Amino acid sequence: MEFKFGGDRIEISPQRDGSTFIHEGMMLHMGDELWLEIDGRKHKATATKVGDVWWVHVLGHTLQFEVIEPGAVGSDDDKGLTAPMPGKILEVHVKVGQTVSAGETLMIMEAMKMEHKITAGSDGVIESIFYQQGNQVEQGTELLSIS
Amino acid sequence: MLKRTLVANRGEIACRILRACKEAGIEGVAINAANDAGTMFTELADISIQLEGEGLSETYLNQQQILKIAIENRCDSIHPGFGFLSERADFAQAVMDAGLIWVGPSPEAITKMGDKMTARITMRAAGVPVIPGEEVEGGLEEVLAVAPSVGYPLLLKATSGGGGKGMRAVHDASNLESEAKAAMREALNAFGDDRIYVERLLTGSRHIEIQVLADKYGRTIHLGERECSVQRRHQKVFEESPSVALDAELREAMGQAACAAAAAVNYEGAGTVEFLVTPKGEFFFLEMNTRIQVEHPVTEMVTGVDLVREQLRIAGGEPMSCGDLSMRGHAIEVRLYAEDPSNNFLPAIGKLKRFIAPTGPGVRLDTGVREGDDVTPDYDPMLAKLIVWAPSRGEALQRMGRALDDFVILGCTTNIRFLRELCYHPDVVDGWTTTDMIDRLWPEGWTPDMESMITDAGLLIASACESNNHGNTISVGATSQVAPSPFQTINRRLP
Repeated sequence: MEFKFGGDRIEISPQRDGSTFIHEGMMLHMGDELWLEIDGRKHKATATKVGDVWWVHVLGHTLQFEVIEPGAVGSDDDKGLTAPMPGKILEVHVKVGQTVSAGETLMIMEAMKMEHKITAGSDGVIESIFYQQGNQVEQGTELLSIS
Repeated sequence: MLKRTLVANRGEIACRILRACKEAGIEGVAINAANDAGTMFTELADISIQLEGEGLSETYLNQQQILKIAIENRCDSIHPGFGFLSERADFAQAVMDAGLIWVGPSPEAITKMGDKMTARITMRAAGVPVIPGEEVEGGLEEVLAVAPSVGYPLLLKATSGGGGKGMRAVHDASNLESEAKAAMREALNAFGDDRIYVERLLTGSRHIEIQVLADKYGRTIHLGERECSVQRRHQKVFEESPSVALDAELREAMGQAACAAAAAVNYEGAGTVEFLVTPKGEFFFLEMNTRIQVEHPVTEMVTGVDLVREQLRIAGGEPMSCGDLSMRGHAIEVRLYAEDPSNNFLPAIGKLKRFIAPTGPGVRLDTGVREGDDVTPDYDPMLAKLIVWAPSRGEALQRMGRALDDFVILGCTTNIRFLRELCYHPDVVDGWTTTDMIDRLWPEGWTPDMESMITDAGLLIASACESNNHGNTISVGATSQVAPSPFQTINRRLP
C-alpha cells in the first residue's frame, strides 16, 4: 500500500494477524476503537478519511496520509482532478464528452479567497463532471474524470 | 435587572454570554447571518433571528438592523461581546437613545479610550505612566522632527488603529521617511485617518494587562493581571495569570494605575488596561479595551469571579458582587486556530470530521463549534480557547500539555501541536515570554519535529484503516437493529 506523506511517497505492507496489524514492532488493534501498542503500552488513536486523505491522531500528533491508488502513474495525474483544498467551484470550463489536452484548464476553484485552476494532467475525453458551479467541495474530493 | 438581552455577536463569545444569561435568568436573543444558521450559539439562545444580507457590514456590523431586531423582539439590553460593534461609541449611543441598556461602558468612555492620542493625553493627566513618545498632528514633516527626541528603535502607530495595521517599527533614521509614508498610507486605507504617533519601541518587554470592574455605585476594582506576551502577528496565542514578572508590590501598583485609568473616564462594567512592562519593572499604559476580552477566562479561573455575569449585573444597575481580590493557583489559556503553523500560520479551512475535546479536573473549553461543523473562510479562524487551572504554574503547564495531547481535531489543520510544544519550550517553562518570542524563534513558521516512531505509527494506522475501510464498516443500522445491552439501560431501569 502506498501513501503520500509530507510530499514523500511511502510504501507500507503491514503484517496482519486477525484484527491486529503489525509494523516496525508496533501493533495496532482494530475494532470500533483503534489501540496502538508499543512495548506493552497502549495508546488510543483516532482516524478518519476525508476524500483520499487519512487524518490520524496518535500520541498527541496529527498526521495526514494521502492514499495513492494502486497502479496510479505519477501522482500528479490524478491529483489535478481532485480538490487541492476545501473550497467552492467558481467556473466549469468543460462539458462531458469534450476532448481536452494536457494542461488545459477544466475548472476554477476558490479556496481561502484565492483562485486555483484545476488542469488536465493528460490528454483525454471528459467522462464525468461530479460538481457544478457554486458547489462547496472538501479537500481531496474527485471533481471530474477523464478517460 | 435585565430581562431580555440581545447578543450582538457570534461563535464562542456568543455562547459564553448566552450561557451566562441563562444562568442569570435573562432571556437570550441571538442574531445570526445566514451562513451561521444552525451553529452552536444559535441553539443556546432562547430565540435566534436571522440577519438579512451578506458579509460583515450587512450583518454583524449592521447597526440599524441589529437595533431594529432588538426593539421588535422587546429586548431591554444589548451585549456586544468583543470585536464587531463592541467598541463603537456610535452604536452604544444609538442603543441608549433607543431606550435600551448597553452592556458596557458609556459612549464617552469608549471614545476617549478608542482614540489612542486622546487616551494618552487623558492617561498622562490622570497620572498613569505612558510610553515616551510624541503625538503627531502635522503629518510627515512633524514625524521627522520629533523622531530624534523619542529615540530609536521607535514605533509608528496609527492614531485610530488596531490589529497591527499602520504599525511600523523603525530601527534607525535612514528608514524613517519611507516607513512613515507607508504607515500613513496604511492608516488612511484601513481607518480613513492618516494621523500617526511616534513612540519608543520597548524591545524585550512584556505585554501585561489588568482586568478592572466598575459599577454604578462608585466602586472600581482590579482583578489582577494577565500575561499575554506570547503573540504572533500582534495576536495573542498563550495567556496566563498570574504573571511570573509581577510581585505583590508591582501588581498593586499596576492595579492602582489601572483603576485610576478607568476612573479617569468614569468607566462602568468590565474593561482591560494593557501595559508594557520592561525588564527593569517599569510599566507603561498601552491602551484600554472597553469590552470583555478574549482571554477573560484566565482571570475567572484564578479569582473565581464570573466576569460576564458581573457585566450583566452591573448593566442591570446592581452593585458588583465581588469582594476583595484573592488570586488562587495558576491559569493558562491557549487559542486554537484553524491555521497551518508550517505554512507561516496561514488560516486553514475544512470540516471538523472529528472534534474530541479534552476533559478532566481544571480543564475548560470555550468554543462555538462542534464535530461536523465546517470551518469556512468567512470568519475569524479561532476554533476554541482551551483553559486550564492548576495549583501551580508548573502543574498548569503539565495539565495544558496533557489536555492538548488528548485534543483530537481531524479534517482541518490546526495549531494544536504548536501550542503543545510551546508549553514545553524552555522560554515558556522559565517564564521568559516576550512579545517578540514567536517571531524570534520561528521567523519562517513552525514545523513539527516528528520522531520516525510517530510517522511509523501514523502510517501503520492509515494502512490498517485503509485495508479495513475503518469508520465505514460500523453502520448506524447495525447498532440500532441490535437490542441494546442490558448494561446500557440499567441506569434507566434502576435510577
